[in-house]
Amino acid sequence: MSWGLEVKGLGAGYRRRAVLGDVSLATINPGSVVALVGANASGKSTLLRTLAGQLPAMAGKAELDGIDLLGLDASTRKRMIGYMPQSLPSGGSLYAWEAVMAASRATRPELSQAETEAQLELVFKRLGLAALAVRKLSELSGGQRQMVGLAQLVVRQPRLMLLDEPTSALDPRWQLEVFDVVRALTHETGAIALLAIHDLNLALRFCDHVVVLAGGRVIADGSPHEAMNAQVLSDAYGIEGRVEQCSNGSTIVLVDRALSRTNPGDLST
Amino acid sequence: MGVRTLSDALTLPATASLASAYASIRARRVLVLLVLAAVLVASLLYDIANGPAGLPVKQIIAGLFDPAALDDGQRVILWDIRLPYALMAVLVGAALGLAGAEMQTALGNPLASPMTLGVTAAATLGAALVVVFDQKIAAAGIGGNYAVTLGAFIFAAACSLLVQALARAFGGSSGAIVLFGIALSFAINALVSVVEFVAEAGSLQQIVFWSMGSLARADWNKLAIIGVVVAICLPWSLRSAWAMTALCAGEEQARALGIPVERLRLVTLLRASLLAAVAVAFVGAIGFIGLVAPHLARLALGEDHRFYLPGAALAGAVVLSLSSIASKSVVPGLVLPVGIVTALVGVPLFIGLILVQRRSL
Repeated sequence: MSWGLEVKGLGAGYRRRAVLGDVSLATINPGSVVALVGANASGKSTLLRTLAGQLPAMAGKAELDGIDLLGLDASTRKRMIGYMPQSLPSGGSLYAWEAVMAASRATRPELSQAETEAQLELVFKRLGLAALAVRKLSELSGGQRQMVGLAQLVVRQPRLMLLDEPTSALDPRWQLEVFDVVRALTHETGAIALLAIHDLNLALRFCDHVVVLAGGRVIADGSPHEAMNAQVLSDAYGIEGRVEQCSNGSTIVLVDRALSRTNPGDLST
Repeated sequence: MGVRTLSDALTLPATASLASAYASIRARRVLVLLVLAAVLVASLLYDIANGPAGLPVKQIIAGLFDPAALDDGQRVILWDIRLPYALMAVLVGAALGLAGAEMQTALGNPLASPMTLGVTAAATLGAALVVVFDQKIAAAGIGGNYAVTLGAFIFAAACSLLVQALARAFGGSSGAIVLFGIALSFAINALVSVVEFVAEAGSLQQIVFWSMGSLARADWNKLAIIGVVVAICLPWSLRSAWAMTALCAGEEQARALGIPVERLRLVTLLRASLLAAVAVAFVGAIGFIGLVAPHLARLALGEDHRFYLPGAALAGAVVLSLSSIASKSVVPGLVLPVGIVTALVGVPLFIGLILVQRRSL
């Protein structure tokens, strides 16, 4: 049995419209944090939703530690896979504590009330959300609700974490906090995290592995240093840019200008 | 945003427990449920005591535990008239309150209720058709004394299924289901008008009286049926309490948790339809309880469905029981159909709730 995440020839889409075509990834090792990057409508969310079981796959296979992810029964999927959608948790009268409690009780009913509360306690404190626990979701900012969404995922302790733009509503400090937590969790538990993200510098700096999608296909896949270069920026985003080494050793992307629009960033794809 | 970071959380000594902070909210909610239950008991006793023939509360309590303690007249008044009437208000209110809460959660829409989804109008149409074709139905031996109830129930249940089928056929979102329900209500009300137009004077009077909603149709058999339905549906709905609470945080969030949202919505709406159909089939068109009670419960108890669902049932029971008292007290010597009272009380109450909720958001 091979450990880690294997995705081979995955195809998926909506009704009759294929969005992903023949997506294959290099084996992703346990404990890895993987960035999915690419232009709008390049297939990042579709890949996450397909792996999460929210969309049926049209072709291919996906295995986690040798277990077929695409044929999982609902209860095993709930335990193994945690998916954080782009949309933020809402609910006018719901307390943040209740939203996370509901996530835990709905997916891990085998835990006792005391065990669930202990888990919640840990997650709220670990994410720095203690001050929000007994506040209503309607009173929270978008960024705070995004963190509650992350808490809903973390409390489930899944083997595979799929996060769709988890930092889109967050300021830089809290973006770092999210990566800090996700990296700590994956490294501690051996779980794998796949994050769809638009901030290339965050992706290059904090992820072990970067997958670049364009038009529903993988155009680059590897370590941050291997996966990102000027040609990839051009192919994926239609931009002219540079990938440079910082004095501290980290890789950064500098965007110079937009190339004339052909198809990579075409929202209609 | 919050004051602690990951590193803080890992290095700081344990501070006040968050679970105990939430426990105080939970305790307050238990207290609210107990207060609602106490108000309901008080209202029930007052409703039983309220009537042309004086029956002191002390005597009522004695008569409830030992019917032989009452003389024959008092026994008939208590056990055959007042108690079925008052209990019917409680059970119908609970059924409509619970049905409304489930509909609002399932559709994620605070306007969803048996009334706005067309269930109440459909029950009226079913009852009206039975009244008009009374003799033919009697000749066919359908329904016996329960023919009107049966007709109302069949139409109410059919309406619920039709709304869901239409919504599914057109890929309906929760908003679309409410719109279908409202559109269907208009169409059904037009059909009721047609039936009323062709009805004879006697039948017309019956239809109009039925459509006003009245607890005077209560008897022990009907109470047993509606009691069993509520007794089954409340624990059944509580089994999905966490899934429904998760659904309140958003449909996509619930799906992400692996909750089968379509199945949850279908089962919840069918259960709510059963509750609403049974309730209105027995007492006629009583509006606003299914709309107002969930809002009252949400305001007092939040959206944790372990508290919200029983709270909505209790709130519905309290509101209808108080309406029952009002229906006997507003005009001395006359018992108004309770549907009139719920409409008169429900509209300002609903507007008040909207204003309070807006202020609290």
